Amino acid sequence: MNRTLIAMTSITYAMKASELCRKNGIRCDVVRTPSNIGSGCGYSLSVRDSADRVIALLDKNRIPHKQGYENR
Amino acid sequence: MPFGAKGFIRHGLLFMINFDNSATTFPKPPSVRRAVAEAVERYGGNPGRSGHELSMQAAAKIFEVRTLAAGMFGAESENTAFTVNCTFALNMAIKGMMQYGGHIIISGYEHNASARPVYALYRAGRADFSVAEVSDDTDETVSAFEKLIRQDTKCICCCIASNVTGRILPCKELADLCRRYGLCFIADCSQAAGVLDLSLSDGFDFICTSGHKALYGPTGTGLLITNGKYPLSTIIEGGTGTSSALLEQPAELPERLESGTLNTVGIIGFGEGLRFVKRYGPSAIRAHEQQLCRRLIERISARGDIRIYRSECDHVPIVAFNVGNESSHVIASRLSDLGFALRGGLHCAALAHRSLGTLEQGVVRFSPSVFNTLRQTDQLADAVLSL
Repeated sequence: MNRTLIAMTSITYAMKASELCRKNGIRCDVVRTPSNIGSGCGYSLSVRDSADRVIALLDKNRIPHKQGYENR
Repeated sequence: MPFGAKGFIRHGLLFMINFDNSATTFPKPPSVRRAVAEAVERYGGNPGRSGHELSMQAAAKIFEVRTLAAGMFGAESENTAFTVNCTFALNMAIKGMMQYGGHIIISGYEHNASARPVYALYRAGRADFSVAEVSDDTDETVSAFEKLIRQDTKCICCCIASNVTGRILPCKELADLCRRYGLCFIADCSQAAGVLDLSLSDGFDFICTSGHKALYGPTGTGLLITNGKYPLSTIIEGGTGTSSALLEQPAELPERLESGTLNTVGIIGFGEGLRFVKRYGPSAIRAHEQQLCRRLIERISARGDIRIYRSECDHVPIVAFNVGNESSHVIASRLSDLGFALRGGLHCAALAHRSLGTLEQGVVRFSPSVFNTLRQTDQLADAVLSL
């Protein structure tokens, strides 16, 4: 199944975002950000849901994330 | 309430009763001891450094404790940074705020954890400071701070409670003063966290505390909590597990303030300390310990040459006393020989002793924990009266 990676600005925000997603019924994992979409090490949210929905949820809750995401 | 009964430890052939809990609580709750053991066995990955399961499991535990700590102090999890102790937290807040100069005001009751970094900045010509006199009258104390405010004043840094006498300072009023003048307020909560309900909503911009005192965590734990209003310059830079391709220290909290590998074992133990305090509540814990303080005061004040350093103000559970003109070190040492752990001397707080007039003699400090009992306090009182 296709997954979408949303690069987060820190592991703490990735964990916080993951908790928020779970509370909103969105299944997700925190994974290491692949080198092609990050500036060195970092963490991403890996979601099966619509990235737009997740990003809207993050923005609404003022959880910063990096611009753009990658489908894999 | 299942308090008491465990405030002694076997020390060689002698059972020591620990009344030096303001230095660090001991013993720790059984849940803390179990969590530390479990952390050593199960959470061996480096949190926030890799994507493998070991690292992610450790990171999840760290986040769990971070969220718990943030909740206790009315903060966001990302604004809650783990430090080695309160001294590190205060250094990070004070030096981070004063990096580009200015003036800072501290109270005359400060521990060296804040007085020394402030003085070091002054000696290096990087900042100026003033010391505000603290009186028994709240208005007078606030006025003393207000009179010292200058155009270049950036911060007030003040302990919530003195580590020498336990005296509670009027921090909510000082927070109001800071709000009126647009100053940053750094609160040293080392002796207050765990026995007073404290929150960023009290007007603190930074809460600095140790984790190993009345929050019952292991040594090597502390917190620097911010409301995010004042970005801090860093005093330590390094690996954060994020944005590694950049030489610039990341701006995101808490990683910005947490360079290097975290004390996973200590933090997981600290989490259980926080749960322990949350379960009983700071006010119940304080009430138990105050009962012991009152008993000690009642018992030993009967002896005319014992001086107790308490004012009309509120106190956290600490009793400072002296026996005649005898050195506090000598009294603490004699009590140690009798099986009681109390701290004499200056308690790393020369400013407070200057304010008390005890720079030469120091004081003997009694600081109980939830694990001490009235019976133990009576035993100590008997020992003091026998000196």
